[in-house]
Amino acid sequence: MKPSAATPYHQAAEPATAEARAAFEKAAFAALAERFGATLDPLDQWGLTAVVDRSRIREVLQFLRDDPSFRMDTLLDSCGVDYLEYPGHDLPRFAVVYILKSMVAVSHRLRLKVWVEEDDAVVPSVHDLYASANWQERETWDQYGIVFEGHPNLKRLLNHADFEGHPLRKDYPAQRRQWLLANDPMIDQLEARLRVLGYEILESPAPTSPSLEETSFGRKK
Amino acid sequence: MAALEHPAAEQTPSGASSLRPGPEGVEQNIFTTSLDAMVSWGRSNSLWPFPFGTACCAIEFMALAASRYDIARFGAEFVRFSPRHSDMMIVAGTITYKQAPILRRIWEQMIEPRYVISVGACACSGGFYDCYCTVPGIDEIIPVDVYIAGCPPRPEAYLEAIMQLQAKIMDESYVKARAQRAHERIHIG
Ligand code: SF4
Repeated sequence: MKPSAATPYHQAAEPATAEARAAFEKAAFAALAERFGATLDPLDQWGLTAVVDRSRIREVLQFLRDDPSFRMDTLLDSCGVDYLEYPGHDLPRFAVVYILKSMVAVSHRLRLKVWVEEDDAVVPSVHDLYASANWQERETWDQYGIVFEGHPNLKRLLNHADFEGHPLRKDYPAQRRQWLLANDPMIDQLEARLRVLGYEILESPAPTSPSLEETSFGRKK
Repeated sequence: MAALEHPAAEQTPSGASSLRPGPEGVEQNIFTTSLDAMVSWGRSNSLWPFPFGTACCAIEFMALAASRYDIARFGAEFVRFSPRHSDMMIVAGTITYKQAPILRRIWEQMIEPRYVISVGACACSGGFYDCYCTVPGIDEIIPVDVYIAGCPPRPEAYLEAIMQLQAKIMDESYVKARAQRAHERIHIG
């Protein structure tokens, strides 16, 4: 969101004191509960985490971003959580958490959480609401296997393209290593970026797939 | 020998070199050695590093290359970012499985003779990253000549490693390696 003429970024509206934060959290939760049926997450001991339904997450984020009394213009992070074997947990296995902050009203910050069932791990993508969500959702897909519906390029971000499994799931053995041989082709992303910047692609390199002898390394399997 | 007819030989006043045989000008300009010693001397004193820096250890390499520690004193200051130009790969930092094929390929692209220095706990053994994403030591994928311990090692340790590598290169026989190559070519081809 662009800073309004009334409050440019360099003139924060109010200081981020503990009281201002507490007041914001109270007001924010009341508004979210009334409009979107949000509930409070009891696991959060450090601030406000509002739990909303998966089907309404886009609406909620758009509201928080555009509403003049919230102005949550920054999605600091969105990530997955795996609650497998979490003591006393009987809710769905996964959650996706969105961490929001306002750069204009500096005391405004909150977290949103949506529960995700293991056998239906699909969440709507919010990459068009917050550009930073693009890579964050790719990372969450990579590490937890949660699918973001409507994402333009849901590829692995941190792990190798041929990696099998999702390593931050609690049932992935932390020390299970995978030897992967091929180089990760990034040309498609590079070319897309160049096109955005106004370049014309005259010729693309042929895709290379290294032979097995060329890349046969690794004693351990 | 043709060298004895060097013009300098005539200009030398006689008598000055009475203790040593031969004209003095020639003696001071010619020395004999073995080809091996000559080649190894050249190689060990002009190592061109390829910095494969992926994490914090590479920051120490910057200190090493700058004026305080100054690898130029060892003839290794010419940092090249093309594997075709370099013969000493300095792997400084954590190597992940995603990075491993890239490391391997760059090593393959380097000209021979090529040497590898593995810097720090991460490159030598995976360090404290005992997990799904980190290669437990780059010697799983490429041969390593010198290992440096530390997290990160001090620049002095880098210098020690370069000196050890120089000693190792001085021990190599260019002539033997060449004969071996010729031998292989004859028997295989
Ligand atoms: S050994 Fe230590 S300093 Fe070097 S890359 Fe690993 S963590 Fe960083």
